[in-house]
Amino acid sequence: MKITQILLRLRYSSLGRLVLALLGTVVAICVVLLVSAQSDTYIANAGAMTIAILGLSLLTGWSGQVSIGNSGFMAVGAFTTGIWANHHQSSPIIISLLLSILTGAIAGLLVGIPATRLKGPYLAGMTLAFVTAMVPFIQSLGKLTGGSGGLFFANLSSPSWFANLSGDPQNFIVANYRWAATVSVVITGVAYYFMSNLFASRAGRAMRLVRDNDVAAELMGVNLGRVRVGAFVISAAYAGLAGSLVALLSGVARADNFGLALSIEILSLLVLGGIGTLSGALMAGLLAAYASTLIAKLNALFGLNPYSNLGSNSQGIIFGLLLVVTMLTAPQGMAGLLKKISHLRARKEAE
Amino acid sequence: MGAFFTSRIVSDILIGAAQGVLVGLIALSLVLIWQSTHVLNFAQGAMAMFAAFCGMTMLEHGLNYWVCVLISLVAAMLLGGVTERVLVRPLYGKAEINSIVVMVGFLGILESGASSIWSGMARQLTSPLSQTYFTLGSKTLYLSPFSLFQIGSALTLMLGVAALFRFTKIGLQLRASALAPEVSRLLGVRVSRMLTLGWIISSAVGAFAAIIIATSGSGLFPSNMDGFFVFGFIAAAIGGLESPGGAILAGLLIGIIQTFVADYLSPSWVAFTPVLILVLSQLVRPAGIFTKNTTRRL
Repeated sequence: MKITQILLRLRYSSLGRLVLALLGTVVAICVVLLVSAQSDTYIANAGAMTIAILGLSLLTGWSGQVSIGNSGFMAVGAFTTGIWANHHQSSPIIISLLLSILTGAIAGLLVGIPATRLKGPYLAGMTLAFVTAMVPFIQSLGKLTGGSGGLFFANLSSPSWFANLSGDPQNFIVANYRWAATVSVVITGVAYYFMSNLFASRAGRAMRLVRDNDVAAELMGVNLGRVRVGAFVISAAYAGLAGSLVALLSGVARADNFGLALSIEILSLLVLGGIGTLSGALMAGLLAAYASTLIAKLNALFGLNPYSNLGSNSQGIIFGLLLVVTMLTAPQGMAGLLKKISHLRARKEAE
Repeated sequence: MGAFFTSRIVSDILIGAAQGVLVGLIALSLVLIWQSTHVLNFAQGAMAMFAAFCGMTMLEHGLNYWVCVLISLVAAMLLGGVTERVLVRPLYGKAEINSIVVMVGFLGILESGASSIWSGMARQLTSPLSQTYFTLGSKTLYLSPFSLFQIGSALTLMLGVAALFRFTKIGLQLRASALAPEVSRLLGVRVSRMLTLGWIISSAVGAFAAIIIATSGSGLFPSNMDGFFVFGFIAAAIGGLESPGGAILAGLLIGIIQTFVADYLSPSWVAFTPVLILVLSQLVRPAGIFTKNTTRRL
């Protein structure tokens, strides 16, 4: 058997999934330590995006509920982290992260209980209403959230042992970038491991059944409401974690950054990668890492000034176009295309 | 009598009604599309904004306001028709999520596109009618020539659409192709043409609302329809997405309730009020207040 086949087979046992997640994380950390500091910032942000995409993939791909409100939950996570960091400067980041997961989940529960009674376009519309209401709401809480200017706090800085380990102990800036990317990669690995277990669990199968045929699910004894709300809450908790990570990486939480545009970006990356598959979410994360550089290169290729009207908005246009074109031509995304290719190849070999 | 018309409650109702008819128009445009093609058009607000930009930027070249409105409406009809033919047609019969994702993507394209063509800055549109409120004695009556036009034209447009559907042959064909496409086709109705026509009408209604919103409110900018689209969607959802009358009524109510919330509670709660109304209405009647009960087939 080929190595790729062995690796792919690993995902069917729970120990195998742990090994896969560990292997992936270790490989990613090696990459982080080898590439340039500039690439590390991309990888760090891509980790946060991957977590948000994983959460949306569960909600949309597995429980069949479309949400364009996940950036709102990211905002909840980011501001939880910011407010906590400003009040407890010396607390370890793991507490910020856990708190943000908690507040994201609570917000998800509050929105999810009414929202999951709605179906299809109603639910998507409700999450849209949530995200458009969230930005002005956060800005109106000026004392707590810093209003429209945003909240500033200390971002991730490398501990001294890591700075020593990563080579040049004098160069704190590079060490900080490396540390941020390492933290991000590790958190993403943990998030991926939990999601892969959930996908394979009884709850994951119940979700798929609810998506494909809710009447059959109900007859099998699945509690529809609980499964739908559960998926919504987990997805919101993932978004909260992603928001927290974004905030920790930049040291800023600004409500504007978590508007509808971010939700559309997450959705397009998810669709591009492939809805409802873990591999699709990971590919989407990789795309997220290099999307902004690729778009900057495209701008340069066409001779656009990045600060002109068209140059500064080309990202939005490209993401929108990708979303529309992918959905119309290859709704299963890159993961679906890869699967198709491997099926074709297997058939050829059999012949 | 004068004291009554300038009282706080009547003032709030007048301001709210002027907002509410606009929400109602957008809700109506959503319902028109939903009825005929069962697509919730998430790009409805952005399409209206884009069409408004196409015409209203001509104001800067010295064109008359009403000519600009006409250009915008023609642009909206073109945009609506082309969108239905190119983007929406491949989605019929596909899963619901496909149409949601495509329309959300189109929303992103239109908003970024408008920012790159006309920049993200808000443009003030010079109003053709005065926007200063009338006064009764020393008190302010919260009506202006423009807000009277706003309410009047919106109601006229709604009645016009209702009359089109109710009393004309085209309206009958539109209703028939929404209700029973197969039968209509057999009876010689060009169903696909009717679906496109539904989008064209809806798009024009939305663009008219966008022009009024940009003239009366904070100006024209790429995301200026986001909020109103959400309110319009909520109004349509409260009515159950199937009922044009219900959508308009719900829109009017949302406008008035929002003004009361802003006046008596706090302006920062305005954005969340419609969400709460939607949640409450869905808890009472999940299928919408104004729809008849339907059975589901297994």
